[in-house]
Amino acid sequence: MRRALLAGSLILSAAMAAWSPAAAPTIVGREAPDFVLRGLDGRNLRLSEFRGQVVLINFWSRSDGDSRQQMPALDRINITYQRAGLVVLGVSVDDDLRRSKEFAAAMGVSYPILFDTGTKIGQDYLLQKMPMTILLDRSGVVRYSAVGFKRGGESVYLDQIRELLRE
Amino acid sequence: MSVMNLKHRMVSLMVCGALLSPAWMAMGETPPPAAADARAADAPAPPAASASDAPPAGLKTLDQEVQGLKKEVVDLNKDLFVLQEQLLFPANTQVALYISMDVGTFFALDSVTVKIDNKEVKNYLYTAREADALLKGGVQQIYLGNLKVGKHELVAFFSGKGPVEREYKRGATINFDKGVGAKYLELKITDRVPKHQPEFMIKDWE
Repeated sequence: MRRALLAGSLILSAAMAAWSPAAAPTIVGREAPDFVLRGLDGRNLRLSEFRGQVVLINFWSRSDGDSRQQMPALDRINITYQRAGLVVLGVSVDDDLRRSKEFAAAMGVSYPILFDTGTKIGQDYLLQKMPMTILLDRSGVVRYSAVGFKRGGESVYLDQIRELLRE
Repeated sequence: MSVMNLKHRMVSLMVCGALLSPAWMAMGETPPPAAADARAADAPAPPAASASDAPPAGLKTLDQEVQGLKKEVVDLNKDLFVLQEQLLFPANTQVALYISMDVGTFFALDSVTVKIDNKEVKNYLYTAREADALLKGGVQQIYLGNLKVGKHELVAFFSGKGPVEREYKRGATINFDKGVGAKYLELKITDRVPKHQPEFMIKDWE
């Protein structure tokens, strides 16, 4: 009887661990995987070349409403904090490169927009849902990660950005 | 350096670390401010010059040991890198491909795609900083892999901006014999001044 109870509790705890949000894979605390991507202006940008600066990477998709809302907010953050050492990079993960470029050009944001047409970056950064925003410290380690965006939600990033810029 | 020797050094390094850790922990402990003040009040005032200039002898030797350990770690890392290279890319199958650029007046490099025996092995996008480093005389190892002994074909596609800022894409091909030793090939981008065109070559370093 005691053995059966013990086995039952073990199975239950294993099942709970599998379903708990903490079990979701995350890259926070790990060094950000390097990438090089072509930008809207035709230039190639490599992530590791921004080592020494605080970097915000925003993975977005044209078809996602939250991404559309988030981009003007990130643009304001970029304009305010770029002189303090912040770099904002937008990475489109759309398959349709032409339409994605048209959309990015129409948004007219001041930060570089890069285009990922492969699947490797999505795997490296464990992308699940758009938009996904991650913050890297000056040594290139992922410190914060956020999925989705709500209007006014940029205040959360601001606290984290200020904290990282102070380090 | 043999693997046994490397293992021996790693074990000795771990033992040194284990021996040193209590000393570091002891150094890291700081007394509470009140206790520190009381001790300072009780103790006779040391001579000003000796307190600021000369560190205690124990601290000095510990610092030297830490420096020695750091140096050993760097040396071990170097040995591990060499071992890894030897294991992953043994000399009898190794193929290394390098890229260099001379002048670059007629060509701004954007990307290089390399195919060996019709199979894409590398696609590299260059940032402005990397292209600039090549223009300044840098040589980049763009690919390191393994190939069987025998005849092979390597094709490299270069894309970028050509004369008058026009999109420019060119290819270069080489057929080579992979022998028993390592094979070194170099992609060379040079300017052909009389024709006002860039030139792309693949050099086989025998």
